[in-house]
Amino acid sequence: MDLMLVLQLLLGGLQNGALYALTAAGFALIFGATKVFHVAHGAAFTLAGYVFIYAWNAGWHAAIGVAAALAIAVLFGIGMERFVYRPIQRHEGSFFTVFVAAFGVSIVVQNLVGMVAGRGFASVDSSLSQGVEVLPELFLAPVFWVAIGTAILLFAALTLFLSRTHAGVALRALAQNPDLLRAYGLSSSRLSILAFALGSALVAPPAVLMAMTTGLNEAIGNHVMLLSMAATMVGGIGSLRGAAVAGVLLGVAESLVLLVLDTQWAEAASFLVLFGFILFRPTGLFGVVAAK
Amino acid sequence: MTAIRISRRGLLGSALALPFIRGASAQGSEAYVMGTLFPLSGPNAEYGTVFTAGAQLALQHIEQDKMLKRPIRLQAEDTQALPQQAVVGMNKLVNVDHANWTLVGFTAVSKAVAPIGDRAKTIMVNGGAVGPDLSGLSPYFWNVIPLAHLETRALLPYLVGQKGAKRIALVYVDDPLGDAILGILRNELPRAGGQLVGSFSVPRTAQQFGPVAARVRQVRPDAVYIASFGAQQSQIIKGLRDNGVSQLLCSYSAMNLDSVRTLPEANGLVFTGQKMDFEGGDELTRRFAQDFQKAHGKAPTIYNANYYNGTRLFALLAQEIEKANGQVTGDSLRETLLRIRKFPLVGGIGEFDDHGNMMAAIEVKEFRDGQAHHLAG
Repeated sequence: MDLMLVLQLLLGGLQNGALYALTAAGFALIFGATKVFHVAHGAAFTLAGYVFIYAWNAGWHAAIGVAAALAIAVLFGIGMERFVYRPIQRHEGSFFTVFVAAFGVSIVVQNLVGMVAGRGFASVDSSLSQGVEVLPELFLAPVFWVAIGTAILLFAALTLFLSRTHAGVALRALAQNPDLLRAYGLSSSRLSILAFALGSALVAPPAVLMAMTTGLNEAIGNHVMLLSMAATMVGGIGSLRGAAVAGVLLGVAESLVLLVLDTQWAEAASFLVLFGFILFRPTGLFGVVAAK
Repeated sequence: MTAIRISRRGLLGSALALPFIRGASAQGSEAYVMGTLFPLSGPNAEYGTVFTAGAQLALQHIEQDKMLKRPIRLQAEDTQALPQQAVVGMNKLVNVDHANWTLVGFTAVSKAVAPIGDRAKTIMVNGGAVGPDLSGLSPYFWNVIPLAHLETRALLPYLVGQKGAKRIALVYVDDPLGDAILGILRNELPRAGGQLVGSFSVPRTAQQFGPVAARVRQVRPDAVYIASFGAQQSQIIKGLRDNGVSQLLCSYSAMNLDSVRTLPEANGLVFTGQKMDFEGGDELTRRFAQDFQKAHGKAPTIYNANYYNGTRLFALLAQEIEKANGQVTGDSLRETLLRIRKFPLVGGIGEFDDHGNMMAAIEVKEFRDGQAHHLAG
């Protein structure tokens, strides 16, 4: 087996995995804290990516573009919680109603993005995504280090936030026992908004980096959502750490599978991993068995 | 008393029959229905916009020129370029809208809807898909675009002879179009003096091409042929270029999209397509190009022209049938096509063979600095 090919595929997989991990962690954070199956998480990704592309094409500084992407993702997440999920939960709140509403919003966003930004491929032309030969037959783009660095930094910050701040601890408490939280006089609705804001903010960096690397189209949210769900299940429902590790695992799996299988199987590898977990470890990597 | 009862009945009967009498007399001015089965959402929606723009301009011209006694109503169905959606759309067009004519695109979609159109004897005209097996798919399925085997026949000698690219790698979408191009390259590359050194299939939904690029580099090709469509083809180009594939990239007519043309990584991409001179052509072609430019603020593409032609062809055939006081049906349209064979269309006189395929010249082009430049053919 060609060692350089193994290394190339591994590094490529780590880069993609870091981006999947951030997206999946956002979904897991929202689901873990609020129990809302936020299918429109992919729409936040799409919006963030397209806002960054718009800012880039308008000649704005990249940092402003990233801030704008972050802002739109957070606003979208809060808007979903405030104007879609909360009214539904106030009346009926069944899983299916929430799912269909979120799915509908995703389709609306997809079509709006298509109408406003044009249908088809969109990307930004950045030297960050252009690979250079660092070793014979090993190409690495600067975006690799940006992706890995961003993921490590954000996970470290998130871990600190969830373990060292009152709001973070309350968010974890909301995930475990919302009734007890209310008994202590804390507002579950405010914490719910915080969960949506944080979870949605986590899609902005991968959306920006994907706009540079693979490019976007208005339907990319569906793909992102599928991967986020797969990573959340593989990592263990509700486990932030699990979703992050699973995201990396899926990214590496879909890349390394090309060592032994045809390129056709790259995407399927993620779902083979998912099926494997469903069959042999249904609780996922870090999930716990719920008592019945 | 009896007489009054009868007249009441008669009155009631007449009143009930009135809408039908009106309907029968109005039938002469009822609109013809032209259905479109294009992707209007999803990653291939850009094609739907391009295809529809061509058809809409043709409808405007048909109306301005008063070519037909009855108006034409455009009925759009969104296929998302997926066969399942297309079958649902085609069934609706045939059974509910009673479409006289349908415009289709994409190989998988065309193959999925052809049996439905065949049973209903509804004409289907393809101006975008190039799978070689679309020829002779049904007596009612016609192509106003040259199919892939004609495109590769023009490209391969150029690649091998002019560019010295003998070792070709193929990245192709797992779809009837991709499979067809794989078959063509396997058969025709050796004849042209080249060799297919690697073939890499990718699912239609694939987004990441870094790992594919690593595998492509391993087979050390002189050129990489990309057989995909929609947003994915831009992603493949960017994925290959960003991940160290510096060799010549080549493809077929699906690359002729704005999103590819303006992609910096697509600079130097060689591709084939129909040969059309929008500026120096006949009056019809110039009118098409000028009005398109006026309406959209940019020059038309071959796809715009193909669906303009697909729409205009209906008007030309229906005009002939109307002149002979005949009924516009699938059979009469087909009979008229096979009888006349040659039609004034954008790009010159379009001539059709027995299978309803329009013959057209092919040229080899290259994207350079965001523009398509003629290379050969």
